[in-house]
Amino acid sequence: MDLAMLREYLPLLIPLVILQFALGITALIHVLRHPAYRFGNKVMWVIIVVFIQIIGPIIYFTLGRGED
Amino acid sequence: MTGYLAFLKKEIFEYAKTYKLLILLVVFAVFGITNPLVAKLLPEILGSLVADGITITMPKATAYDAWTQFFKNATQMGLILTVILFSGVLSSELSKGTLVILLTKGLSRTAVILAKYTCMALLWTASIALCFGLTYVYTHYLFPADKVSNLPFSVFCLWLFGMFLLAVLLLSAVLTKSSYGCLLLTGAAVVACLLVNIIPAAHRYNPISLVTDKMGLIKNTIAVSSLFGAVFIAFLLALLFVSLAVLIFRKKQL
Repeated sequence: MDLAMLREYLPLLIPLVILQFALGITALIHVLRHPAYRFGNKVMWVIIVVFIQIIGPIIYFTLGRGED
Repeated sequence: MTGYLAFLKKEIFEYAKTYKLLILLVVFAVFGITNPLVAKLLPEILGSLVADGITITMPKATAYDAWTQFFKNATQMGLILTVILFSGVLSSELSKGTLVILLTKGLSRTAVILAKYTCMALLWTASIALCFGLTYVYTHYLFPADKVSNLPFSVFCLWLFGMFLLAVLLLSAVLTKSSYGCLLLTGAAVVACLLVNIIPAAHRYNPISLVTDKMGLIKNTIAVSSLFGAVFIAFLLALLFVSLAVLIFRKKQL
């Protein structure tokens, strides 16, 4: 992929990256501030949320998040 | 009416606080952006995978491919995610016992069910609108020259099928009172729709035609009027299921 192509796709890639980061950071903050999970521990959830893009935070919020 | 509005407010607040709103909107937004992108890049990705000496001629990507991606993602992943997120619509509050407190304080059961359906409908409408809007803008950006036909009507069909499915989900939730039972029953309803589709005569009036016939609509191989029956039936069934959910929930032992 050369530079001209990259420039053409930039308007699509920037929002995509922002969305991924926003979701990832929200999930990371939640993991760190609410240390009660339905299963697993803090290290596991941090790894899942940070390294698996989009799917990781969704799995955390739907399955792993403990009751407040 | 005040009970309904208060409960609706509480429902929306709950979806925001449990991050379900965030997940729904982000996922649909990501779909919205990736649909045209994947359509545009797929020929190049496939081209770069091919070894020397073999040539694959891929047709150039068009706006039609982007909308194919949109309808594929929104009907499969989108609807599945929506149904899974909403599967606890009644069961979580029943199992925690928080709903019973409100009901004994005089909140009407009709208001509870109607507010729940309204809230799900609002979230589904917002998500599909967001996904459609992003796909539309970026498809226009990447494929400025291309035109597709019947776009608003096919998106309306997809939206209506979602509303129909949410009504089925709500009725299942009232009947089974558990989130897994609710998922199972909703899945069974979709399978039943698919089975009915085997009978050619029923195809015109089957709600599932709303999501299976969209590509034909965009290609203009299927006339818009051929789906009016399915639109009408889906609307009637959604209305019937919500009313049934209200009636059953009013009699139900909690």
